Amino acid sequence: MSGCWAAEGNDAVKIAARILTALAALAAAIVAIGPIAWAVSTSLKRNNEIFLVPPSLIPTTVTFDHYARLFHEGVHWNFLNSALYTFAAVSSAVVLGTLAGYAFVRFEFRAKSAMLLLFMASMAIPGYALLLPTQVLFVQIGLFNTPVALPILYAAHIVPFAVWMTRAHFASVPIELEHAAAVDGYTRFEAAWRVVLPGAKPALIAASAFGFLYAWNDYITSTTMIDSPDMRTLPVALIFFQGFHGRDWGALMAGAVIATLPPVVLFLCFRRYLIGGFSEGSVKG
Amino acid sequence: MNVATTRQRNAAGSADPAAATRRTGLALVVPALAVVVAVNVLPAFFGFYSSLRAIFFFGDDGFVGLRNYAQLFADPSTWQAIRRSLVFTFGSLALAVPLAMLAAIGIRKLGAWGRVLLTVLLIPWAMSPIVVALLWKWILLPSPGGLLASILAVFGIPPINLMSNPDYAMPTVIAVGVWRTFAFAAIILTAGLGQIPADLYRAASVDGLTALERFRRITMPLIAPSLLIVLSVLTISYFNEVQIIIGLTSGGPIHSTTTLGYLLFEVGFVELNQGRGNAIAIVMFLINLLLIVGYVRLLGGGRK
Repeated sequence: MSGCWAAEGNDAVKIAARILTALAALAAAIVAIGPIAWAVSTSLKRNNEIFLVPPSLIPTTVTFDHYARLFHEGVHWNFLNSALYTFAAVSSAVVLGTLAGYAFVRFEFRAKSAMLLLFMASMAIPGYALLLPTQVLFVQIGLFNTPVALPILYAAHIVPFAVWMTRAHFASVPIELEHAAAVDGYTRFEAAWRVVLPGAKPALIAASAFGFLYAWNDYITSTTMIDSPDMRTLPVALIFFQGFHGRDWGALMAGAVIATLPPVVLFLCFRRYLIGGFSEGSVKG
Repeated sequence: MNVATTRQRNAAGSADPAAATRRTGLALVVPALAVVVAVNVLPAFFGFYSSLRAIFFFGDDGFVGLRNYAQLFADPSTWQAIRRSLVFTFGSLALAVPLAMLAAIGIRKLGAWGRVLLTVLLIPWAMSPIVVALLWKWILLPSPGGLLASILAVFGIPPINLMSNPDYAMPTVIAVGVWRTFAFAAIILTAGLGQIPADLYRAASVDGLTALERFRRITMPLIAPSLLIVLSVLTISYFNEVQIIIGLTSGGPIHSTTTLGYLLFEVGFVELNQGRGNAIAIVMFLINLLLIVGYVRLLGGGRK
């Protein structure tokens, strides 16, 4: 009897715990998404409604005026700059990182472990502490305020992650697969290209997505390395716009939405690879 | 690709295959290594060199020895900035790690819905820090239009100016920074929880352990390695955080959010005192190295 009661009590506790967990999860989700929804709402409201008390999440009349004003200011050029820098950095970093990641698994060479350690250590050091010497250096060697400055700096930050993620994958591919391909008459690199690389797709996607988020979202590197308005990235242009039109919250939130849409859509598309990449790396150590 | 293939064919035909693979291996690693060294290692040395010189506005007035460092450490505002960096870093950790732990436990408990929750919580992490700062500046605006002020107004509470009050500014930047980043820690902790065998919990239930005891005696010891990874990644990331502060408070009010990272921004990039700025950069770089070495030792020790 008493055992029966205890079990029932347990069930009640379990149900209560489940409901509490669900409510807490809902609250957490609202805290995470709410501010972004508010930004979208502000960007679509007419100016007289933006400052209305009490506020409403759903605009009574939807307007795209704020977006139009940003395009009038040339925000699409900054968007294009961000996209080009990001694409150049991610593609070059993933190619270089994959080659190195493959070499670390399949080749023996001098100072291999020291080189690997250097990649891992540079992953831990955030670029910010070295940004000022980099700026002074770039001014002296003529790279400051050039279109290649940001792709180089972003790529250098992404390469170690690409090495880390692809190396972990290549290590899990049995070498017999390549040997079998060699028997079929493939050269070593044809085997790597046609047999090993397609399987590395998750690692390549994870490294690219991580690189995209890093490069696209950066503000501090681009504001310190680029001076000309026509080479500015989207986040920097947004902060300059704020400097001139600090109270134009409709346009500022429209800019925030434009800057946020690509990384969030990319994250939602590739979340499995990103989450998998980070959790696998951490579990494997 | 063609060049590499040809090289490989030549290598296969050469007399010493071991030397050939050594060369190929190096040839594959060196381009990646060159980029990383050029951008991470070179500036560290150049920064140290610059920190020993009087450089203003990109003009070099010559060698001054350790004068930049002496002035830096003689200035009480430097020590205040270091103290604020510690407050920001450990304040953020104290908020982010328990939240991430709770989120990870919830995510495991909710099963399929947990994966949805993790995705939702990670959306702010996919955003640009400076855009996050801009967004929260708008939400916290203490005048009509500001969401927080409007919500408070419903309850008859007057607006609070969080960003221009020296007492509230630091907690505010901490909270906004954690809002963007804590879910990243939840990924690693969720994966860590997934590694704990469910049998252990079943056995513990049979033994009559309470939920709290199960957490203390099973979850905590087994999650410790993941927790250590989270702590190391977040400590370094929070210590170097500057974009949230630039976007929200610009180091103010009355320098109450001027961390070492923000001081570096102000002295090096705004005042263009690049000699002293590089001294700050080198100090930050060394603190980072110390943190990394410390955590590598802890993590390495934990594995054995």
